[in-house]
Amino acid sequence: MIDHILSLLIAIPLFGAAAVSVWPSQRPGDFRMIALSVLLLELLTGLSLFLFFQNQNTGYQLSETVDWITLPIGSLGVVSIDYALAVDGISFPLVILAVVVLFVGMISSWSISQKTRAYFALYLVLSGSVIGCFLAQDFFLFYLFFEFMLLPMYFLIGLWGGPRREYAALKFFIYTFFGSLLILIVMIGLYLSVIDPVETARAVGIVGPEDLVQTDVILQIQQWLADGRIAPDQLVHTFRFAYLTDAGNYIPGSILSPETEFNLMGIPVRLLAFWFLFAGFAVKLPVFPVHTWLPDAHVEAPTPISVVLAGILLKIGGYGFIRIVDGFFPAEAQYSMIPLAILGMISIVYGGFNALAQTDLKKMIAFSSVSHMGFVLLGVAAFTAEGINGAIYQMVSHGILSSMLFLLAGVIYDRTHDRQIDNYRGLIGPMPRYTILTGIAFFASLGLPGFSGFVGELFTLMGAFQAGPLPVWIPALSTLGIVLAAAYFLWTYQRMFFGTFWYKADDSIMLTDLTTREIALLTPLAVISVLLGIFPGLLFDMTGPTVQAFLERLQ
Amino acid sequence: MSETDYTVPASLLLGLPILAFFVLWLGGKNLNKSAGWIGAFITAIGLGASIVYADIDTLHTVSFNWALIGQTKIILSFLFDELTAIMLIIVHFVALLVQIYSISYLHGDKNLHRYFAFIQLFLFSMVGIVLSGSLLVMYIFWELVGLSSYLLIGFWYFKPRAVWAAQKAFVLNRIGDAAFLTGILMLFYYIGSTDFEVLATSIQSLDAGILTAIGLCLFGGCMGKSAQFPLSGWLPDAMEGPTPVSALIHAATMVAAGIFLLARISFLLTPEAQIVIACIGTITMVIGAVKATQVWDIKRVLAYSTMSQLGLMVIAVGLGSWRTALFHLATHAFFKSGLFLSAGSVIHAVTPSETDETFDPQDMRTMGGLRKYLPVTFVCFAICSSALAGLPFFSGFLSKDAIIVEAFFWAEKHGAWAYLFPIVIMISAGITAYYMTRQVWLIFLGEKRYQIFKSVHPHESPVLMWGPMALLASLSVFIWFSWNPFDASHGWFLELVGAEEFGHILWVPFVATGITLISIFLAFRETKAEDPFSIYAGNSKNSVPLLKKLAGLNEFSREAFFIKSFAFISNGLKQFESKFVDAFVDGVAKWSVVFAHILSWGDKNIVDGGVKLTVFTIKSAGQGVRGFQNGKIQSYYLVTALGVLLLILWLTVL
Repeated sequence: MIDHILSLLIAIPLFGAAAVSVWPSQRPGDFRMIALSVLLLELLTGLSLFLFFQNQNTGYQLSETVDWITLPIGSLGVVSIDYALAVDGISFPLVILAVVVLFVGMISSWSISQKTRAYFALYLVLSGSVIGCFLAQDFFLFYLFFEFMLLPMYFLIGLWGGPRREYAALKFFIYTFFGSLLILIVMIGLYLSVIDPVETARAVGIVGPEDLVQTDVILQIQQWLADGRIAPDQLVHTFRFAYLTDAGNYIPGSILSPETEFNLMGIPVRLLAFWFLFAGFAVKLPVFPVHTWLPDAHVEAPTPISVVLAGILLKIGGYGFIRIVDGFFPAEAQYSMIPLAILGMISIVYGGFNALAQTDLKKMIAFSSVSHMGFVLLGVAAFTAEGINGAIYQMVSHGILSSMLFLLAGVIYDRTHDRQIDNYRGLIGPMPRYTILTGIAFFASLGLPGFSGFVGELFTLMGAFQAGPLPVWIPALSTLGIVLAAAYFLWTYQRMFFGTFWYKADDSIMLTDLTTREIALLTPLAVISVLLGIFPGLLFDMTGPTVQAFLERLQ
Repeated sequence: MSETDYTVPASLLLGLPILAFFVLWLGGKNLNKSAGWIGAFITAIGLGASIVYADIDTLHTVSFNWALIGQTKIILSFLFDELTAIMLIIVHFVALLVQIYSISYLHGDKNLHRYFAFIQLFLFSMVGIVLSGSLLVMYIFWELVGLSSYLLIGFWYFKPRAVWAAQKAFVLNRIGDAAFLTGILMLFYYIGSTDFEVLATSIQSLDAGILTAIGLCLFGGCMGKSAQFPLSGWLPDAMEGPTPVSALIHAATMVAAGIFLLARISFLLTPEAQIVIACIGTITMVIGAVKATQVWDIKRVLAYSTMSQLGLMVIAVGLGSWRTALFHLATHAFFKSGLFLSAGSVIHAVTPSETDETFDPQDMRTMGGLRKYLPVTFVCFAICSSALAGLPFFSGFLSKDAIIVEAFFWAEKHGAWAYLFPIVIMISAGITAYYMTRQVWLIFLGEKRYQIFKSVHPHESPVLMWGPMALLASLSVFIWFSWNPFDASHGWFLELVGAEEFGHILWVPFVATGITLISIFLAFRETKAEDPFSIYAGNSKNSVPLLKKLAGLNEFSREAFFIKSFAFISNGLKQFESKFVDAFVDGVAKWSVVFAHILSWGDKNIVDGGVKLTVFTIKSAGQGVRGFQNGKIQSYYLVTALGVLLLILWLTVL
């Protein structure tokens, strides 16, 4: 059981989806109950990982590897695709975040009443693929999950969304698909350039097909590879992350080998590949200027989908930056540090200013996401321990807080179907509890010390300051983001919640305060944010050693 | 460095108020009656602890690890030294008096438990600032003080102006804090720590230019909290909050945090940074003083005066004398909170028994002649005013005199232009005397202008209110700070904070007193005029035209300066987003469709045979796909699985 716990994490929601699809009865309540119990099981399984995960272990843990596809294709060598799963300090916090946010999203899906069978089945498919993304240790497998996610997301926005749902869903799909295409191109290039030393050793015949392969054999194979002593048809190509990060596994003279001399229009191919990969994940994060799908998608998506989108899906972009972009192209990442940091800075400031100008509550939150995810890019760009740890921290913190924010936006939308900030005043009158929880979420998001948002921003900024090649003005200008955050959150708060109660459409409307279910959803998120804010060690102890080892390997 | 473990007082001083905050906040409305006494009791314990653990001879530190990232270890540390001992006592003492006063002043408010909870939250944060052993810790509590100030200014959340003021205070402070944070992060980069002890030993290694930049960034924090030009606009507006809050936070303690910060970091301020700081302080002092002569709101006069006095303290730090700044901070804390509490008593007295929309209980134009009805308040107010105006035998005289002396010593070393600072300080001190005379006269003397409102019946406040006022007033007398009423340089306070000898210039107290007396005379002459201080002539008309012109300066920090520019950029970028970034993508999409149509036309008309078959296949596939969107989830899987299969096939064939 423990050996396959990661597979279980992916399988539980997928089986749940199958169960919902074929469930004989037509009662919506049944689908809901199945989905809820499946995700509860998923949550518990995810949390049980804490029992096995070791903070000090900097390598992959709980690994599962199965040879999936092995195909000899003549002179092009052998295709080897593995079903490889593992967690490490970088992905573990995100996996935990994912199971928590997916569960929260599930509870807030309670009020979905149309096409429930399809909704919950798609939601479970989405859950499985999101988790898969964080667990996959094989680029092909990762890409599979990455693509697989788009489909349920497209339908979840396009069928259950607001008035302009088709437009938003299509925009989301096209943007992300375009990004995936760029990733795919690089993936193929990498595949052509990298071998699996273990499988190659077996193919060459220096070890038996079932024997364990020791480090000295791997070094020997890498030496042979460098000397060109292995015939092309004996090379076993691979997608495994672990091999892609090791420069020794690159075939000399291949298109993406570190010593490659290939140029495209005067630009080194590896640099180009780096920017392709970056652009692919930048769409997801999102980074200015490819962020415009996000506000539309958020505004149109139903509340739980907004929660999942902001809470986890965006984090795959940041995760991809660290694991894939930096992991495979460290030299290029350091070379491109300044433009990356500037993009991060622009996202922070641009997102903040735009959030200030919005009149739609959800759009305001969406742009605040752009601004907050800019900090992630800034931290990653810095390429320092503080920066990358801070970026992971910021992702977890934003995952918790943006979920909370979108749930809060959903609360008022549920009651009035109106998200215009200026249409409300004095909500504190009829909804005091709602006001308090919104206040907590707003202050936590604007980076008040004591909440997680502060720690994430502090350490990404600190990382950016520590990065030698980065000019100081980039992080210094980025601090404008925290000023803007105070302005747009507090201004919204003032406009909607204070003064005497007034609602544009219907002044005599009776607004009910938060229900028990809503409080039960929001309070744990607030508590997590406070805990992480006061004890950042809870998270840094997990990520710190791994990130340190990760950086040392790349230097 | 420390042998004694100071964990106990640290956790006591920080733990009690935060505990009280949660108890009072979550306790709900049934605590309304007892909340004030609970709060006061907790603060009294804190005051006791501050006195018991005040050990001015040794330095004690308490520290613990907060986070370890890579090689960077972030340590949170707290320290106890003579500076903290003084500040702790001031903060707790004023807070205690203000809470006792509030019990009576605010009684009947239906959210009293929240009010006292927020006061405790403020105390927790303020004590945190005072105890902080590193700039990072200070920043953390700095922001929390900002939060409690926000909550307290906006305590009457149904008043739109109060909420607006709260938000303005927080955002303007955030601008300063962003600079503060930048300074902290630069120190982390260049030194690797923000611990005061570490900084003190390793700061010399830094390049002077960088040090100047760091110093000015850190000063940004002070500009926000201590309402320095151009981030000063929030302080007068903060007067929308309850009056005791103004006394505690916006006069005695929080706004002084900026000065405290400067005192802590004074060793890293380069001469260039000091000049900038002194100039900012001077501008603030002059603007505050001038504005104070023009407003009619009883609390706003005091707010502008606070701003002006903070400017004076900032000048003192800028001129390299943080000790005299701290001295003025201490004397100011008592007489200014005394003034605010007395002003609260006046407001309390004239607030009409029944609601009268036309009457503004804070407008000094409708006061006058209240001396007879409010004898205690009058005496307290007069004593505190005298201290503020810098009359001899009062505490304010001593501290102001000390700063002026320091300014003259500093100017001696820097040449003729440097005499500008002491001269401007003395002139501003003169203006201070002028506006305080004006205020005392407008409120307590002259004719009873409130009598046209039938609903106003002035009455003296109960003892719970005048007790704290009287205590603060009595602390505004010279004797508490120095035996010699004309020279504080041998008083215990300056001897306590400063190892070095303070100089004294014999003629300064006399000249300063002379200027003060002349100003008071000028103000007094104005009261004899036909329309004293233009009470009847309309709103902001001032008797001195030059002063009126200067008033425009303050507009910098008001709406026109910050909000409009922010709104402009923000709306501009929103337009940019929809007209450019988004439109570009949409354009690409549209042109792709057009392009696709052209291709498909070519396809239909030029390519034939097998291709047509392909087109037909794709079309029917499209029909099929459309059929999938019928909510039958099974079919989606089929498509996805097929897609994956195709992808694998394609890759293997490759």
